[in-house]
Amino acid sequence: MKRAFSLLPVLVWLALSQNVPPPIRFVYRPIDFRLESSETPQRHAPETMAGGVAIFDYNNDGNLDIFFTNGADIRTLEKSSSKYSDRLFENDGKGNFKDVTAKAGLAGAGFDMGVAVGDYDNDGYKDLFVAGVHGNHLYHNNGDGTFTDVTAKAGLNKPDSQYGPLWSVGAAWVDVNNDGLVDLFVVNYLAWDIRTEQPCESGPGTFDYCHPKFYKPTPNQLFLNNGDGTFRDVSAESGIRAHPGKGMGVGVADYDLDGLMDIFVTNDKQYNSLFHNKGNGKFEEVAFEAGVALTEDAQFISGMGVDFRDIDNDGYPDIAFVALENELFPLFRNTGKGGFMEVTDSSGMTRFSVAMAGYSPTLADFDNDGWKDLFVTRGHVQSLGYASRVPVEQPNSVFRNLGGMKFQALTAEAGLTAQPPRRHRGSSVGDLNHDGRLDVVATAISAPAEIWINDSPGSNHWIECQLEGAKSNRDGIGARIKVVAGGKAQYNHVSFAAGYASSSAGPVHFGLGSNQSVEVVEIRWPSGIVQELKDVAADRVVKVKEPAN
Amino acid sequence: MKSALLLLVLAARLWPATNPRAAEEANAALALAHEGKYEQAIPHYRAALKLDPTLPGLHLNFGLAYFKLNRFADAALLFEHATKEDPTSFQARVLLGMSYYGIRRFADAAVDLKRASEQQPDNTELRFKLAQCYLWSGQYEAAKSEFKFLLTKDPDSAPVHMLLGEVLDAAKQEEQATAEFEAAVKASAHEPEAHFGLGYMYWKQKRYEDAQHQFEAELADQPQHTQALTYLADAEIHSGNEKGSEEHLRQALELDPNIRLAHLDLGILLAARNDSDQAAAQFREAIRIDPKNPDAHYRLGRLLLALGREQEANVEFAKVKELAKREEPSPLIKAPGPDGDPPR
Repeated sequence: MKRAFSLLPVLVWLALSQNVPPPIRFVYRPIDFRLESSETPQRHAPETMAGGVAIFDYNNDGNLDIFFTNGADIRTLEKSSSKYSDRLFENDGKGNFKDVTAKAGLAGAGFDMGVAVGDYDNDGYKDLFVAGVHGNHLYHNNGDGTFTDVTAKAGLNKPDSQYGPLWSVGAAWVDVNNDGLVDLFVVNYLAWDIRTEQPCESGPGTFDYCHPKFYKPTPNQLFLNNGDGTFRDVSAESGIRAHPGKGMGVGVADYDLDGLMDIFVTNDKQYNSLFHNKGNGKFEEVAFEAGVALTEDAQFISGMGVDFRDIDNDGYPDIAFVALENELFPLFRNTGKGGFMEVTDSSGMTRFSVAMAGYSPTLADFDNDGWKDLFVTRGHVQSLGYASRVPVEQPNSVFRNLGGMKFQALTAEAGLTAQPPRRHRGSSVGDLNHDGRLDVVATAISAPAEIWINDSPGSNHWIECQLEGAKSNRDGIGARIKVVAGGKAQYNHVSFAAGYASSSAGPVHFGLGSNQSVEVVEIRWPSGIVQELKDVAADRVVKVKEPAN
Repeated sequence: MKSALLLLVLAARLWPATNPRAAEEANAALALAHEGKYEQAIPHYRAALKLDPTLPGLHLNFGLAYFKLNRFADAALLFEHATKEDPTSFQARVLLGMSYYGIRRFADAAVDLKRASEQQPDNTELRFKLAQCYLWSGQYEAAKSEFKFLLTKDPDSAPVHMLLGEVLDAAKQEEQATAEFEAAVKASAHEPEAHFGLGYMYWKQKRYEDAQHQFEAELADQPQHTQALTYLADAEIHSGNEKGSEEHLRQALELDPNIRLAHLDLGILLAARNDSDQAAAQFREAIRIDPKNPDAHYRLGRLLLALGREQEANVEFAKVKELAKREEPSPLIKAPGPDGDPPR
């Protein structure tokens, strides 16, 4: 009798738990794109690193479109076949995507990796910078559905005088000097040349991708926007060039709230770089001082993609990046005193991520509860032949932010095993179907891309801010947005650089929980102008133009 | 190690008098050896060898005297001769292999023990030693195969499960390694090191709570197990149990003041409660023990920076930049100590 009584709560709990839907849920939608990186038995390094993707509105019709970068023939670094074409898909707003690559002129030419979205000429149309192996491209958006390759005109086609052609993985548009023009920060990986690359044996007669230690580091680059369609390489004079690394991810944020955008770069098996913007065109590398050079145990881990945003709603941007199995997905909380503290253990991320290999982390509020969650594309850097030792192909995961820097891991629960595990790479986030829930596009090596439509239950409210700079850069990149709803504040800033080699260039999204309106939206523009909107209704995209003063 | 492997029988016969003086010395040596007086037998063997190095069995028996005295290097030289004289001698082959084993030439030992095992494939003690030699010479696939064979003979052998676990861990097959240690614990809950080995595997996988249970179980049997104390403390830090951690670290350091991880972790705890001087001292001690490990440099650098000692901090950070993180040596794989016997 006593025993039967003691079982009752358990049975009740089981019955209840079966009826509780997962708080974040995605459903798969196919899209006609396959990432082709020219995988060869020799396993040349770029083959496993491709896959940047962008979500942005290329034609200003209010619908978020998708741009995929793609590989090329690894021997020639040329797109020798149409299967290597970069692709632009136009969204009709009803869940249908039409391939408009040919008309747009965005098929590309080389072995492309990453993409950065930004309106560099402030004409109201978002342009594309495509980072690639030994060749980058700047595509100007002409506003009529076409793009023009303006790389040479912009002065972005010059090989490095010391390192030769660089292998760029990604980039970020960011106005480093608050002059109203977005500048370009390019992340370069490592020195690679197919003619001199030594193969790495994984077994008798078989090869796998080599450890980064077999390659030399290369410097990142900073190009100042001259405002006339050209750029000036200030990598050396700004101090950026003095810190070569093996860059994989870039996040931009004003971490010390001094009004200047700073830059964080993850490096592969090398300490990370945090470039603190000192103003006057100078950066100081302060990763060690700020406590983000390495994880707390001084491990040189495989830093992959990164996102740099406020996770705990205290107004200070935090850092989330990912690495391979046993290296964890480290989380660094901004202390508000110029430094960071690693909270990987206490957040629960240690336990969740120890067996995972991640590529692209993006911080966004997928359940609209007012806390940014973390979506991570997963997959190992090694080839499929490595699978006997670790799972090379993995499903994606979303880590739900429970508040207080605590997370909950959701994979199958979130519907993310609806597709087979893959070697996922880039990812981009945006509301593709105007339902107020953020969707995700992910790529995978030698596999179809995946659209994950957010089908989370619940009726939480939301608001999106689409900024238009006047004195500041047109995209408002760097603008800090504070939203107060239900008496609670949350923060984000405009930065399209997120994840691995990817861009998420939709409006800035805030989940509002049960609040049907926002008390205050405060925008601190890069120009220094502070703008306030009061009593804003929820569940809509609010277009905000920077005032004259 | 001594004689557990095979019954070492001294040459039963006296040598014939083809070279009377040599035979006389050899027989005198043999008589002394039979009485266990190996030190006294050695000069007679040496004399006999000088007079007639062709006396059959002389190298083998002379080598055996050295072997009994744990003088494995001397023994190995004589057994090398003995195996040349009679390449089919099982006894000479095993003794040569075990002499190499005694002087930690595990790769060489494996060659001779392998040849011996071909003559006696069901000799499990021999196969166990062979497997150990494979493990300690980094021949993991061969070691795996030997240990798996041994498990077919005795599926509940905790030591074999543990050693197979070590092999698998060394081969970076952590899941399988963990399973072997779990099997070892199941086979013999009080097998020395079994709980520690399983705890270490959990610790590596950052399963800190599971690891703590195993380290505690090891400490229940071996309260002075310094590694179990240290790793338990480290797992406690990761689990947020700082009070328990400090107690275990101090216990470990009292038993052995040269545990790097214990100093590092103690420094972390002290730094967290702003006992900066003591924390710095612990980090410096960790650096003294292993100056090439970057983590204590990094911790010390961050501590010094927080204290406003920027210049000193930058010295530490510069060291970190120079040091690529070395892979921590596994505490599981332990080659035999100077006495020839492995710790388990």
